[in-house]
Amino acid sequence: MELLMAWRNVWRNPRRTILTILAIAFACILLVFMLSLQIGMYEVMINTAVKTRTGHMQVLADGYNQDHKIRKVISDPEAVARILDDTPHITGYTFRANGFALLSSDQRTYGGLITGVDPVSEPRISNIKSIIRKGRFLSPSDTNSAVIGSLLAKRLKIDLGDELVVLGSARDGAIAATVLTVAGIFSSGMDDYDRSAIQIPLAHFQEVFAMEGTVHEAVITCDSLWNVGSAQTAISKAVAGLEQKRRLTCLSWDELTPGLVQSIQMDLGGGLIFYGILLIMVAFSIMNTFLMAVFERTREFGTLMAIGARPGRLTTMLVYESAFLTLCGIGLGIGAGCLLTLWAQHAGIPMGDAEGMLRQYGIPGLIRPKLTLATALAGPAVVFLITMLTALYPAVKVHRIIPVDAMRAA
Amino acid sequence: MTKGNQSMITRRLKTIGFTLGILLVLPAAAAANPNAGAIIAKAWDYMRGKTSVSVVRMTVHREDWQRTSVIKAWTRGRKTSIFQIVAPKKDKGNGTLKKDRDMWTYNPKINRVVKIPPSMMSQSWMGSDFSNNDLSKADTILMDYTHEITGTTEVNGITVYDITSIPKPDAPVIWGKQALKIREDGVLLEQAFFDEDMEPVKIMTTTDIRMIGGKPFPARWTMRSMEAESDQDYTLLEYESLDFNVPLRDSLFTLNALRKPLR
Repeated sequence: MELLMAWRNVWRNPRRTILTILAIAFACILLVFMLSLQIGMYEVMINTAVKTRTGHMQVLADGYNQDHKIRKVISDPEAVARILDDTPHITGYTFRANGFALLSSDQRTYGGLITGVDPVSEPRISNIKSIIRKGRFLSPSDTNSAVIGSLLAKRLKIDLGDELVVLGSARDGAIAATVLTVAGIFSSGMDDYDRSAIQIPLAHFQEVFAMEGTVHEAVITCDSLWNVGSAQTAISKAVAGLEQKRRLTCLSWDELTPGLVQSIQMDLGGGLIFYGILLIMVAFSIMNTFLMAVFERTREFGTLMAIGARPGRLTTMLVYESAFLTLCGIGLGIGAGCLLTLWAQHAGIPMGDAEGMLRQYGIPGLIRPKLTLATALAGPAVVFLITMLTALYPAVKVHRIIPVDAMRAA
Repeated sequence: MTKGNQSMITRRLKTIGFTLGILLVLPAAAAANPNAGAIIAKAWDYMRGKTSVSVVRMTVHREDWQRTSVIKAWTRGRKTSIFQIVAPKKDKGNGTLKKDRDMWTYNPKINRVVKIPPSMMSQSWMGSDFSNNDLSKADTILMDYTHEITGTTEVNGITVYDITSIPKPDAPVIWGKQALKIREDGVLLEQAFFDEDMEPVKIMTTTDIRMIGGKPFPARWTMRSMEAESDQDYTLLEYESLDFNVPLRDSLFTLNALRKPLR
């Protein structure tokens, strides 16, 4: 009975109803799309950082992350490997060693970061193989070959097959020197990295820098971002118990790249303010509709109550009306929002002039939003909650109506 | 035409006035200040002589390890020097040539000479607490700073000057201030380097002054970085031998010489 009356009441003024539904729908579309876009962007940012440099987690000597001193090593990588093999959710790991050194070609000399990587396990952890633009990645039979960042290659004026001299300090304080041959040139999209980094086989690095079998980082990937926390706790506990010369710690990607997390938080904060304003506007428009509905129908309510309708039934009716409006709007909004997002996900959104700025975060020129159950439903759920709350006010106000006065009014 | 002449004349007059002004002021300044600059210049020349040949044992000490190498060094004047490592065996033959502000380093294993770029000048020299800048810009204190004697003390009957040196406004230096302690005979006792916030960054002290190379000279030089993790972190230079005013060939201070094992 109340349901039928609500349905009829809603369509008594079709134009107003449709406008209200559209307002709600539009808010939902915007929320679905924007949230998906943000999540898509963050995921790309995180994945790029994780894939090119940090991995999901790293095991390091305590303090190495603050101060990359060559002496702060993992003295027994084998023991760490055994722990990682036994930890669930871990899909792979590789060892790296880093040193700062003079990199010198025939014509130029620059300071740079030289990383020893395992030619076999490194491509399973990072995307290094796929970002090689020229030449090839290191192979297990290589000794003094190197892959080098594209911007560094340009600065040093070297190309494939050219020689590159490395001069630095070894772990034992001796002078580390070697001549490398450029086997490949990579471009990660992160300018900082491409400007200063070269990679050489770990074994050669250990020999040149007198590492004696030690490494600096165990780089780990997880089956999903969501399992990083639990895996990190497990690994931290296990490596802390190892008998090593230096205490080891396990850090996750957000601890390794605090700048990335901060920029995501900043962006999300700005987004939330925007969504808040949007929701308040929607709430007022709904409230307006329902208040009008009650005011202009005071006589009608008075009559209904005079012929025996209890205020409770009127409230139920009004709540049905608002629920109907809201659900229509949200349904329409989710549908259209998902369609729009899926289309954008498929086609990608070119970033135009902002590309240069985004590149330093490792975001490619084309952004794809990412539609998930959460991004599709979170925004509309909040809209539903808020509209229902605002609609409750007039619905409860009906209780105060006194039939005789109401019928005389207007 | 006349305008040009006029401006030239005024400029010349200004120059003359300026020179006169300096001539008038100079004696007064010198009287107020027993010539801090001259004390430093004397100390620097005292350390180097016209030429010098020395063998130095360098120990880089850290909390959990230390490493000693033996370096032979030749210097001529204030600006030219060449170093070569003679021990340990692993590093033997590595050398550094310094001419004016430029530095080259040579490694025998790869047989290459590499010029150290400006961006690496603040990096450590051979893993020690000395930076490339400490070597290449050692003499900038003579040109790029204004000096003031801030105190004198007497130690064992010898006057020691405390000198504070502030860089000239446009000088290309990395320190905000330097503070030196120099004995009246020219022996450098302490040199402290301050950053732009006037916080000490590094302090070099000398000890064990005895007769070396025919004059009193500190045999132990210790460089400590204030940013070090513990007071166990320092670099110690010990003179094993030192001779002054030895005749040295011009060809000694060349890139070619750097490639050869030097006597």
